[in-house]
Amino acid sequence: MTQYLIMCRSLTKAQSSARLLESAGITASVVKAPQELSGAGCGYALSLYRRFEEAVELLKKNQLLNGKLYRRSGGEGYTEVKG
Amino acid sequence: MIYLDNAATTLPKPVSVERAVCRAMQSMASPGRGAHPPAMRAAETLFQCRSEAAELFHVPEAERVVFTMNATHALNIAIRSKAHRGAKVLISGFEHNSVTRPLADLGANITVAGRKLFDREDTLKEFQREIPRAELVVCTHVSNVFGYILPIDEIAGMCRKYKVPLIVDASQSAGILDLDFQRLGAAFAAMPGHKALLGPQGTGILLCGEEGLPLMQGGSGSDSIPQHMPEYLPDRLEAGTHNTTGVAGLLAGIRFVREKGPENIRRHERSLLELMLKELENEKTELFAADASVQSGVLSLRVRGRSCEDIAEGLSQRSVCVRSGLHCAPTAHRSAGTLETGTIRFSFSPFVTEAQVLSACQILREIIFKES
Repeated sequence: MTQYLIMCRSLTKAQSSARLLESAGITASVVKAPQELSGAGCGYALSLYRRFEEAVELLKKNQLLNGKLYRRSGGEGYTEVKG
Repeated sequence: MIYLDNAATTLPKPVSVERAVCRAMQSMASPGRGAHPPAMRAAETLFQCRSEAAELFHVPEAERVVFTMNATHALNIAIRSKAHRGAKVLISGFEHNSVTRPLADLGANITVAGRKLFDREDTLKEFQREIPRAELVVCTHVSNVFGYILPIDEIAGMCRKYKVPLIVDASQSAGILDLDFQRLGAAFAAMPGHKALLGPQGTGILLCGEEGLPLMQGGSGSDSIPQHMPEYLPDRLEAGTHNTTGVAGLLAGIRFVREKGPENIRRHERSLLELMLKELENEKTELFAADASVQSGVLSLRVRGRSCEDIAEGLSQRSVCVRSGLHCAPTAHRSAGTLETGTIRFSFSPFVTEAQVLSACQILREIIFKES
């Protein structure tokens, strides 16, 4: 199963984003971002497994997309993906 | 006990507030630190409180709702973000020390506009004259001493016209009067959680129209490597672990207010004030009262020939809790001509009943007429 991570500027931003996705029926959970992906140290991300492209579009439309995007499948590491 | 000191801190709180505080204490950890369930429960509570406060005060994003210890803390952040030594700052004649002391400490050049109590026309005329020369306006929405409702919408309009930033002290209005932050276009609005929002002491909110300068530096749970506070809200202004139990209570308080409706709460408090006016009109009392369009549910009075402290002490001995003195607002007393004596202040909440007000008035009359 492929996991997608949407990096968020802050915990509150991650929560706002999760709330927006939830209102569109997209399930995303707020998680602590892996340290290797948090450039400035300690960050939060949205983790989701389905409807990734749709989620990205919705966040863009609402000006909530301000971090990098990653995917991970199986035992692999995270790979950046373009939104 | 008859508690009529709600302008200082509301008491009692709704039962839902007590329960929320207890639940938080038993189940919540530091928000924005870990990602385990107790931390995330705390984070969710904070976010929910930000969101509901944003809805109540018409703030476009939950991020712009910053938690503080109280309104004083919030005002200090706002004032230090916008004022500097020598800055021309315009304030109303009814400001609290939480506004005037930070300004004095900064060495701001303060001008006071509108000294006439309950006279909105005079207040507006004075602000109109002074705003074009000001670099910053700091104005209370409601006087904590007299309940005078200042024409904040009109003052905000003038500030927008002359592009002067505005800081609103909503300590006595949040939860009672309509406060539309987006419409005001203010730089900041500060409010306590423990007054009309019915939350616990140790809670406050700063609504932010801009990022502001941090008053404290420290951990924010975000961007940990740079040695400065994050640039973004709310993290920028919230260093250190939050008062999670307090915010949980504040959320319950805000829900109570929203359910009840601020306009209904105001109507209730105003009707109690009017009852009190009717009961206390006599040759001994000097009542500072005006009609409902310019006065909220706060009543100050003096008793001729008696010190305010004596009267308040007499009431306290009979289990009626009021506040006497200057109420931390010498500027307001200077405006109203009560600086020498102070006043006795009665203030209400959704939990005060007519029967309590009638009893308090009866006790006060006994103190005035039988014990003088």
